[in-house]
Amino acid sequence: MDRKGNLAMNRRFFLRGVGGLTLAAPFLSSLNEAKGQTMAAPKRLVIFYTHNGCLTDKWFPKVENGPLTAADLTGTLAPLAPYASKLLLPRGFRSMNAYAQGQTIDPHDQACGSKLTCAPIGTDSNRYATAESLDHTVAKQINPNKNTPLVLSVGAASTRVKEVISFSGPNIAFPANVNPQTVFNALTLGSGATPTPTTPGPTMPAAVDYHVKRGQSTIDLVRGDLTRLQKLKMSSTDKGYLQNWLDLLRDTEVGVGGMTGGGGTGMTAMPAACTSDTATALGITAAALTAASPTGKITGGTTSFGAPPPPGNNEGDNNLATSFTKGGDMMMNLLALNMICDANRVFVFLYPGYVVYNWDGMAFTHDHHGLSHRTGDNSVGGACGVTGVLDQINQIDQWLAGKFAKLVGLLDGIQEGGGTLLDNTATMWLSELSDGAAHNINNLPILIAGGAGGYLKQGAAVNVESTKDISNGNSTSSCQNGGQIGNTGSTGGNVPINKLYVTLMNAVGCTDNGAKVTKFGVMDGTNATAGISNPGEVTTLTAGG
Amino acid sequence: MNSWRLVFAATVLTGCSASIDAPSGSGAAAGTGKQGSGATGSGATGSGATGSGATGSGATGSGATGSGATGSGATGSGGTSSTAGTGTSATCTPGVPTTSQIPRLTNAEYDRTIRDLLGVTALTAAAGSTPSNLLATDQAGGLTDVGWAAYKTVGEDIAEQVMADATLKTKFITCDPAVGTCLHDTAVSFGRKAFRRPLTTDEVAAFDAVIAAGPDITPTGAPAEVAEALLYNFLVSPSFLQREELQDSSDGAGHFSLSSYEVASRLSYTLWGSTPDDALNQAADSQQLGTPDQILIQAQRMVADPRARDMTQAFHRYYMLMGLNTRWDNTNKDPNLYPAFKPSLVPAMQQETEMFFDDIVFAKKGTFNDLLTSTTAFVSAATAPLYGLDPSKFGAGLTETTLDANHPGFLTRLGFLNAYSGYSGTSPILRGAFITKQVLGIGIGNPPPGAEQTPLPAASDTLDTNRKRFAQLTSGSDCVGCHSVFINPPGFALEAFNTVGSWQTMESDTKAPIDTSANIALDETGTNTVPVSGPAELMAAIAMAPGAKAQYASKWVSFAYEREGDPGDACTVQQLATKMTTGGYTVLNLMTDLTQTLSFRVRAAAQ
Repeated sequence: MDRKGNLAMNRRFFLRGVGGLTLAAPFLSSLNEAKGQTMAAPKRLVIFYTHNGCLTDKWFPKVENGPLTAADLTGTLAPLAPYASKLLLPRGFRSMNAYAQGQTIDPHDQACGSKLTCAPIGTDSNRYATAESLDHTVAKQINPNKNTPLVLSVGAASTRVKEVISFSGPNIAFPANVNPQTVFNALTLGSGATPTPTTPGPTMPAAVDYHVKRGQSTIDLVRGDLTRLQKLKMSSTDKGYLQNWLDLLRDTEVGVGGMTGGGGTGMTAMPAACTSDTATALGITAAALTAASPTGKITGGTTSFGAPPPPGNNEGDNNLATSFTKGGDMMMNLLALNMICDANRVFVFLYPGYVVYNWDGMAFTHDHHGLSHRTGDNSVGGACGVTGVLDQINQIDQWLAGKFAKLVGLLDGIQEGGGTLLDNTATMWLSELSDGAAHNINNLPILIAGGAGGYLKQGAAVNVESTKDISNGNSTSSCQNGGQIGNTGSTGGNVPINKLYVTLMNAVGCTDNGAKVTKFGVMDGTNATAGISNPGEVTTLTAGG
Repeated sequence: MNSWRLVFAATVLTGCSASIDAPSGSGAAAGTGKQGSGATGSGATGSGATGSGATGSGATGSGATGSGATGSGATGSGGTSSTAGTGTSATCTPGVPTTSQIPRLTNAEYDRTIRDLLGVTALTAAAGSTPSNLLATDQAGGLTDVGWAAYKTVGEDIAEQVMADATLKTKFITCDPAVGTCLHDTAVSFGRKAFRRPLTTDEVAAFDAVIAAGPDITPTGAPAEVAEALLYNFLVSPSFLQREELQDSSDGAGHFSLSSYEVASRLSYTLWGSTPDDALNQAADSQQLGTPDQILIQAQRMVADPRARDMTQAFHRYYMLMGLNTRWDNTNKDPNLYPAFKPSLVPAMQQETEMFFDDIVFAKKGTFNDLLTSTTAFVSAATAPLYGLDPSKFGAGLTETTLDANHPGFLTRLGFLNAYSGYSGTSPILRGAFITKQVLGIGIGNPPPGAEQTPLPAASDTLDTNRKRFAQLTSGSDCVGCHSVFINPPGFALEAFNTVGSWQTMESDTKAPIDTSANIALDETGTNTVPVSGPAELMAAIAMAPGAKAQYASKWVSFAYEREGDPGDACTVQQLATKMTTGGYTVLNLMTDLTQTLSFRVRAAAQ
């Protein structure tokens, strides 16, 4: 649909309209069966990422190893209780490049840059990761057409390493898209000036006809341009970029062919449920997209401390609040729609951390990062600087847990094959840090929902470290009532996170030339040059282990 | 690498661990002190002989572009080196760093290009949003499905908007699309502007094919619809979306010459962040961009155009590490201790600093020295109390005024003083580290593990000033090396300003007098120091420091050439820094000299 409220006649949505298929919410019992054929549901990976750690001793359930039930989820994770039987709580992983152990540059930059890459970060001012990140590695293997992963966020668009965890190659940041409208438009062919009917009807074929032909004429033109460039002497990097673009044209074209030829190729055939009706059922309407997609600048929320911004008083802060609430929720819907349309199988969705929470009942005066330090600002250690800081962090933690639960619930509510989207996906909540004041990345809080088609153990907590009695950390040990900030971190939980990533890669169908994947990243210890010394997946995380 | 401009992370600098008396070999600012003075005659030193060719600044050196030496594979350096810093060592190797031949427009460039090409700044189809708000986030890698779809959607929106507006339409088409060869002529004439070069015969044929297909690719085939489809196709063409440098002819010295069109594009995107204007296109068409002198004429014209102010503002944001989610943005103060501070003033503080840079550079045609010493300020009724001024003398907006001699330059404006300070007290460390690293270009390392967790000692009878408490805090053997020589002294001199930027002579709590005297290390040796009594002398010392000039030049080179600290640019930085030591060398001079280097006129061979 376009910004004028019309449903766009686009390749993917319109395609189904032509077929006369009427889809009613709730969704079809099987997305794939609706195509008149049975095929295995795709496996997918979702990484839900939050910043600044959490109050670990409120976040971690008491159970450390063994069955995980709703009754165990009473703290921060309470919103996840309804899904306990589909949760896997891996305990004891440490991500790479802890400050002063790997590099000594900046704890946040290292945590973000190394999080999904298991590689050091660059020492120039960008501080980007020096290797490709997990989402790209996986996407190259399992995505239709080898598409890049869909990386989404809220708030202002940012290319700083503090807000970037996805890297398409060494030192090449792959920043998140933050505008829901932009993400939605990628599923359409665009509408432009064309007045298009909002419901299937007799006028559609003609509209389709010219739209398809216009698309093809553009493809011809752009391909001619790119092909001419490809013949010139150029660096292999530049040539690779030209090829990327050509591949995108081919994908579009295959889709077009599918429309006119009936069925297209197996690779890009759109599942039957990929319709504008489905979008509507998910809450993705023109009006909702507009409401969720701020058109003006987005600030960090710092200019309206102390009180919710009066409407219209500070556009940037209002836009931030809109983006974090309506925008984030819409991103989840779009993520589900991308799954339904099988436009992507690898997703990263992150909530940035350098913002002042001033919505949903929270009216804080310090940004999340400052709160996580307990000082209220960038300074580390010393006196507890904010009254009620633990309560405020706890509110943010619970809000984020609620958002993760919302995503999990959304995916679990959409049938696919014999299960749900969630069942065929590994949806992982990954945290930048364990505790925000300690900046530690051992003993990371990680929660995985869905078993990736039965690969992962469900309804269980698994301590992957041989030592027992893993710590829940000491986040609330200081600043209950002012005083000095003590050690809020924890010890133990040092199994390299690479092994979790390898497990996930195997779970979603990646291979190492046909064999099981055993290694990911360039380092799994504190020494960046030592390579991977502890390969292999963690069998106790798998359904059979 | 076309997205780094948006990045505001602090520069990482090496060196200065516990041993501060290390030899200056590590590069950075050290060398400039030695050669700054004598080397003025560029070619004087041995190394310079080749250097002159590389930068050939001004008309003088140009002829010498002296071939040979430059070709020496300096391009090999490639990626970003870890040596960072200013890269001005005593000797430099001139080079032409390898650059992409097809960088996509950044989103900011896209917006400005659409503005200058078609007059569109807000999309009516998207509630007045800027075009780039609907584009994918900037990223330097290959185009993605989201990015490609976004170009198409936004292209359609723009094409529709232009054709629906009689005024905007003339920017694209000036004839009746139904008559004669109007559409073909439009493809040729608009294509020249959109592609920043004349279309090739093949390209004209390709657009003619789009026109011929008009009835099939539009709802009714009406000529106006075909015109819109034509415009749309230009807006999604790689030659529009990429700043292509394709000329494949050797300069005879190991590099590839740029075509006059490619030089025009470099000029406009370097100085304006946008597409060439008619005058620049004309100069390119008539081959008037081949020599440094010809380029200089255009550059001097261009910096007088308001469009240059956009880029200069963006540069100073980069230089000052301003931006969203930086210290500038996250400033907050204890309302009980500092009732005059309001978080709502934070944007005005940043704005004041930006207006200051703009005023010195453009209105006052100032020098680097002026940036550090001018007492010009922009004050509103709300910020006046923080400067100790009478608010009744000011209005709601920021208006120009002159402060007293205690307020020289951008480092004594509210913006910096507040941003680089704590919640309830000043931080000489934050202020001092910024000045040391970012302004003086001295490569100090990162704090040792645990340093930041060390609490500041409480005030006491013996520790009755902030200065004494910070000196005590940083007195440990792991800290004192960097802190006592480099970081703390400039911070201590700025203790004359409290955490909200107001002048103070005694501590507000203990009433102890504040000591603002300090010995400022001007380069990495730590031995070249100058005593100052307070902010005014500190700023004068910085203004004179060769390292500060080299750092400012280095930042400009990094920003304008879109590559950070590239060793291939070291000679350029060195020569600009040298020029800055001559009287009357304005920031505008520096900006235009950025277009005078060899690496601006040629590109390295693809690898």
